[in-house]
Amino acid sequence: MSKEKGLETICITTGPTEVGDYVTLNIGPIHPAMHGTLRVITQTDGETVISAKPEIGYLHRGVEKLGENLTYSQFLPMTDRLNYCSAICNNVAYEMAVEKLLGIEVPPKAQLIRMIMMELARIADHQVCVGILGVDLGALTPFFYLIIQREEIYEIFEWHHGARLTNSMGAIGGVEADLPDRFHEKWPKMRDTIRRANDETDSLLTHNRIWMDRTIGVNAFCGDDALDWGFTGPMLRACGVRRDLRKDEPYLMYDKVDFEVPVGKHGDVFDRYMVRMLEMEESVKIIDQAYALYKELPDDAPLMKKMPKIIRPPEGQIYHAIESPNGELGFFIKSDGSDKPYRIKIRPPCYMVYQAFEDLVKGEMISDLIACLSSLNVIAGELDR
Amino acid sequence: MADWQIDLIKVVFIWAWALLIAVVMTWVERRASAMMQDRLGPNRAGPFGLLQPLADGIKLFTKEDIIPERARKILFILGPILFALPAFSTYAVVPFGDKIVIGGKEIILQVSDVNIGFLYVLALSAIAVYGMVIGGWASNSKYSILGGLRATAQLISYEVPMGLALLTIVLLYGTFSLREIVLQQQGTFLGFLPNWGFFKQPVGFIIFLVAAYAEANRVPFDLPECESELVTGYHTEYGSMRLGLYLFGEYVNLVALSAITVSLFFGGWALPYVDMGKFLGPVSYGIASFLVFFLKQAFFLFLFVWVRWTVPRFRYDQLMGLGWKALIPLGLVNLFVTALLVQLTT
Amino acid sequence: MPRRPVVKKEYTLGERVYLVEIAKGLRLTWKHFVFNIKASFQKGPHTVPTCWQYPEDRREIAPIFRGAHMLQLNDKGQELCVGCGMCARACPAKCITVKRGKPAEGEEDKYAGKTMCSTFEIDMLRCIFCGNCEKACPKNAIVLGQDYELAEYEPGLCIYDKKRLISNFLKAKAEGRLKPPPAPIPIDAPPVKKKAAVKKTEPGKTKAKGGERAEKGKGTSVKEEDKGPDK
Repeated sequence: MSKEKGLETICITTGPTEVGDYVTLNIGPIHPAMHGTLRVITQTDGETVISAKPEIGYLHRGVEKLGENLTYSQFLPMTDRLNYCSAICNNVAYEMAVEKLLGIEVPPKAQLIRMIMMELARIADHQVCVGILGVDLGALTPFFYLIIQREEIYEIFEWHHGARLTNSMGAIGGVEADLPDRFHEKWPKMRDTIRRANDETDSLLTHNRIWMDRTIGVNAFCGDDALDWGFTGPMLRACGVRRDLRKDEPYLMYDKVDFEVPVGKHGDVFDRYMVRMLEMEESVKIIDQAYALYKELPDDAPLMKKMPKIIRPPEGQIYHAIESPNGELGFFIKSDGSDKPYRIKIRPPCYMVYQAFEDLVKGEMISDLIACLSSLNVIAGELDR
Repeated sequence: MADWQIDLIKVVFIWAWALLIAVVMTWVERRASAMMQDRLGPNRAGPFGLLQPLADGIKLFTKEDIIPERARKILFILGPILFALPAFSTYAVVPFGDKIVIGGKEIILQVSDVNIGFLYVLALSAIAVYGMVIGGWASNSKYSILGGLRATAQLISYEVPMGLALLTIVLLYGTFSLREIVLQQQGTFLGFLPNWGFFKQPVGFIIFLVAAYAEANRVPFDLPECESELVTGYHTEYGSMRLGLYLFGEYVNLVALSAITVSLFFGGWALPYVDMGKFLGPVSYGIASFLVFFLKQAFFLFLFVWVRWTVPRFRYDQLMGLGWKALIPLGLVNLFVTALLVQLTT
Repeated sequence: MPRRPVVKKEYTLGERVYLVEIAKGLRLTWKHFVFNIKASFQKGPHTVPTCWQYPEDRREIAPIFRGAHMLQLNDKGQELCVGCGMCARACPAKCITVKRGKPAEGEEDKYAGKTMCSTFEIDMLRCIFCGNCEKACPKNAIVLGQDYELAEYEPGLCIYDKKRLISNFLKAKAEGRLKPPPAPIPIDAPPVKKKAAVKKTEPGKTKAKGGERAEKGKGTSVKEEDKGPDK
């Protein structure tokens, strides 16, 4: 972790200080800009937000408790329903946590396939996030340019493991299918179309003064504050802290590929947007390199470890985290030696970010609250679990 | 035919025409936006989906009409009507063609050539905001009232630059009558440029266009109905045909605004460099001038759609800042410069 | 009060005047507009990048897609399912009900195994299409097919019984959309912890992947206590 300029920038205290009669505006859980079922109870002075209390739990399904009643492999589909924009990252995070508990390492080919799929999922997630941010700020068109590319990515998912959104990719011990032919055919073209869609989004938004006014300096956040709140992922990097689990604690084969970690300066909406845009570019690079490594392996290289049908990890507990598109996604698993976990605790990245929501939007305007929420990429499924 | 009969025919024709364009515009909006976004848009109802507006109309008419329990009933009903009517009425002073000779009688293609047509346009466009404010206030909902308030502030601050931009035109042509202005825009100046308001007043045109977008509540100025923040703003609580009137009034507004843009800045019905009257018969000339006007208008209607699907939305304070800190000073400077030039050249 | 870093807005002249960048944006949308206008007049499905004209044009569905279930028959038209209930055990949503039965007198040649399932019900309202049943099935009898239009007018119709599942298979067979048999997964050396894991497996369950299957005891009909919501 290295300190960037954002930490040294001068921080000033802002926000209204007078007490007066405010309007209570209840935003959500049913509101076009509340992604999923979020609810924010705001006090507003005209258009200025005095306080914003997020209320969570509208999508609480008891995933962690469910985990205690399901076997290890049965819990895998449940992880799809956390961050449904990038289900594969959740799958892999969970699989890796269990594998760590079992003390096994999956074959290199499986690792590479996981990496490629995860980076594709990361691109898809960022595309949705950036697209939705545009939609919430009134620019609908980039969303469609990006979503077409996501569709291509979903097609690859479908041909790899049979599902588009709730992937349930692979299994504990590896992946069950080799890269599909679709990927080999499509990737060289897709790489360019993904980049082109990003360029188009870029030319519609990035330098447009309306967009810049709406995003630059909005919800700016200090890097050390962000660390205190437990921010991870693009949110933290936008604040200028270079923290990426792929670099800092490499898992899979991330130490064998070469990529940059884009960081912002001020942690405002613009920086978050730019970090996500640049990360997509980096993901494309990672996939390219991982694909090159994959090609070096023989066709019949093993994809899975030999696993017992019923997985019974030894007693113990483990925490394993990966860099999901939203930040550090961790699974804590405590095993009592039976075929079902004693306890599963999920550390979702957006829970930590959403805690700071009031601090993020205090003193800004209602429009900024919406922009902030979209740029946080809070996914209710992950938040409420 | 008596004069009043001719007038009646003109009124009916122009209302029907404005309605028709507005109806087609809803289709154009959806199809063009789809095409810009790599989609197809509604293409099932009728050829190319052209009957889609009809289907939408039937849907809106047959939906249950809900008035919220604590809404102010009379105002709630009045809101949409107040919003839609002024837009129609603006069309009364728009010269949509030169003149047509039928049965030896010369008919001016304009409902009425009011000599203060200008002020009439400004006054009516200001009334439309009452529809929004009243609708927003009567709905008794926080989102609605926020939308209504935004509409007021926005309309007030954009009336001013619009007025300033229009004043420059008045200075240039020395008349308030729209027909006179169009007539004066024929011919060329500096040898090659058409005598259009656009070439004589480029700054005024830009100010007017921006203000017109704000007036019509289109992206990037669609703050009163800002979908992602205020649900749909002032018409959040509306449903059925009342909502239809709001949505439809917006398009009628667009039609009126683009017609005014064309007559003030783009020479109205006249083609540049070509005098159609010389080689066309009296009837065909009337029709041709009407078509030329319509084509110019269609371009601006398309521009409204085109811009909407390209740019993001302003924030409330930025919108105000643009109006008061950029457009008004610019308009004032432009007005002074124009006044000076007019004084020097005459 | 939150602290906010001071952000300086440094705009270039082109960015400052709005219109330049808006004009660039307009150019881009115009390009798309022209492209799609041309494309929409072309014949054939999926001419415009985003849109499929759904009921007429359909996407190509992957053969391994996880859609509606079907119970497979072998080439002789015999039911593959032996009613072991592995799928019901593997199901995280507990939506499968299987009862094992013996084939009736004279009907033995209808079934591939010595036993058969007398009941096989899948509650599609509970199913989450994870594919665990497919992975668990030792006989490759239950698979998830390519059908994805699963809406029904009555909740009761969403409980697929054996007949329905087999008819799904026959329909898919007629349309040539059968799922390819699972390719063998290249497997690495056994894990360290394997021994302990195998010891603890109950009789009646598999020992290891690809290993011999233990013969089941009598009366191991698996019946789920948790039933569908609308029963």
